[in-house]
Amino acid sequence: MTATAAFAGARRSSSEPLWRALAVFRFASVGYAALRLAFIDEGEYSRPDWAWAVIAVMAAWTAGTTIAYARPERRSRLLLCADLAVTVGLMMSTDVLQYPDATVHGALPVTATWMAGPVLAWAIRYGRRAGAITGLIVACCDLALQRDAALNAALNGAVLLLLAGWIVGHLARLAAQVETERQHAIEVEAASRERERLARGIHDSVLQVLALVQRRGAEAGGAAAELGRLAGQQEAALRALVGDSWTGSGAAGGPEADLRQLVLPAQTDRVTVSVPAQPVLLERTAATELAAAVRAALDNIQRHCGETTRAWVLVEDEPELVRVTIRDDGPGIPDGRLAQAAAAGRFGISHSISGRLRDLGGTATVSSVLGEGTVVELRLPCAAAIAVATSPGTA
Amino acid sequence: MPDVNQSAKARVMVVDDHPMWRDAVARDLTEAGYAVVATAADGAQALRVAGAARPDVVVLDLRLPDMSGVEVTRGLQAAHPAVRVLVLSASGEQQDVLDAVKAGAVGYLLKSATGQELLDAVRRTADGEAVFTPGLAALVLGEFRRLSAAPAGAGRGVPRLSERETEILRMVATGLSYKQIATRLVLSHRTVQNHVQNTLGKLQLHNRVELVRYAIEHGLAGEFEAGEPAGS
Repeated sequence: MTATAAFAGARRSSSEPLWRALAVFRFASVGYAALRLAFIDEGEYSRPDWAWAVIAVMAAWTAGTTIAYARPERRSRLLLCADLAVTVGLMMSTDVLQYPDATVHGALPVTATWMAGPVLAWAIRYGRRAGAITGLIVACCDLALQRDAALNAALNGAVLLLLAGWIVGHLARLAAQVETERQHAIEVEAASRERERLARGIHDSVLQVLALVQRRGAEAGGAAAELGRLAGQQEAALRALVGDSWTGSGAAGGPEADLRQLVLPAQTDRVTVSVPAQPVLLERTAATELAAAVRAALDNIQRHCGETTRAWVLVEDEPELVRVTIRDDGPGIPDGRLAQAAAAGRFGISHSISGRLRDLGGTATVSSVLGEGTVVELRLPCAAAIAVATSPGTA
Repeated sequence: MPDVNQSAKARVMVVDDHPMWRDAVARDLTEAGYAVVATAADGAQALRVAGAARPDVVVLDLRLPDMSGVEVTRGLQAAHPAVRVLVLSASGEQQDVLDAVKAGAVGYLLKSATGQELLDAVRRTADGEAVFTPGLAALVLGEFRRLSAAPAGAGRGVPRLSERETEILRMVATGLSYKQIATRLVLSHRTVQNHVQNTLGKLQLHNRVELVRYAIEHGLAGEFEAGEPAGS
């Protein structure tokens, strides 16, 4: 529904130049008709004074319709019908003004080219079909007037009218389409600019305050520390949200994905994600799988070591492999327990992390010292992930 | 303003366009006994005020309304080489942080760091130590990898990390403290610190060499020299 409304709106605004062109055409045609009556066909008229009266009416009607058509809301079906009727009527008056054999000598109706006015108006207002039908009506009247003339010449004018109605209607529709697309593009641009503006605003205000609350809360301790922690989480989440719309690189489209954009959202007040400044490009599925493995490792830490354990994620883009290191400062895993658990198939690491990496052609290693936390290292050779060896900026 | 003669502690300038944040940081620093000799809300003001205020340490927000923190860092380093710049930034501005560090900033802290972490960072910056967060370590690691991956033509003066430096940076990047690293590698705390500092030094030196090379190649060397006396 809104699309139709927008299209109608676009049609109105895009057709304005066409209406102005129509006015020019009509005034020029009145001039041409007057010139023909004065110099070319003057000998063909039995009642030239009445013919001049018709020219005067044409001029008045031209002025009237030009004023009327200037406002979109006045371009009603009634007015267009009246336009057609008046034009055809004036044209048909030729029959009683000229000598019967005038058309045989090649004289034109008193209206001359002016009769095309309503055809163009209908085409502009209602499209090519209306234009063609109006063109046909006027052409038939014209043919009726020129019944005695050579069919050849009369037919020429009729075809011209028909085609003019069709083509101008087509043109009007094309203009409307272009206008709709242009309006759509403007809307999209305005929306994205607004989003950027909001992101900047949020960045400069809300994020700063949230960071401040987090900081002050952590210092105050107790219940305030909890508030601070929540503020920190919201800060990270909000930052990821507005950050994405800024860069636009990462989440969507393209055969490659920037691993950083997929891993950075894992940043919270307890998890620090550190990445290089250059994009870490991997084949899309490899990147999402690797990011999923990182999340699995982080979930694992939270599950086994509790909420208060801190974790660090380091993403490294080396020439021959991409390496993600996840370290926590939890209690660590006692010697042998890891192997035991893996053998029994119970431990999350073996499936959701190692399995994923194995499917990708990489490896996952877990090392732990009791009391000093656990380190999970994920290595993905570039050959396996079809990584781009040279990131942009080095080439 | 506190007593400026309390000069055992460093003179600090705080540059941040957010008044609430700027005041909070200035208050924390003042309470800890630092002389906050100036605050500035934008880069132009910071560069203008720095000459008169003569701070030892500039706590600089990377995102300022008029110019980037990178440009401010460069300007401060050019006009006052002794000033040590500690960059504060939100996360997700990796390239800006890296550029600021290459331009001469000696430390980087997330804006969400606690007051204690901030004081600690300012103290270390004032002592001439590099303040490495995990994030900065990852950026520096990435930058050395980028440089070494560059085509051989540009590669003559390209700095490289020693194996030890890489090892230490990777440990910093995964959240280990200097003390933990020293224990693991059986090194002194000071040695770990020196290694970390060296990596930054190499990067900044390389950056300066690149700038000069660029200037010479593009016929800007004269202007460079003309600009120097004002700097030092």
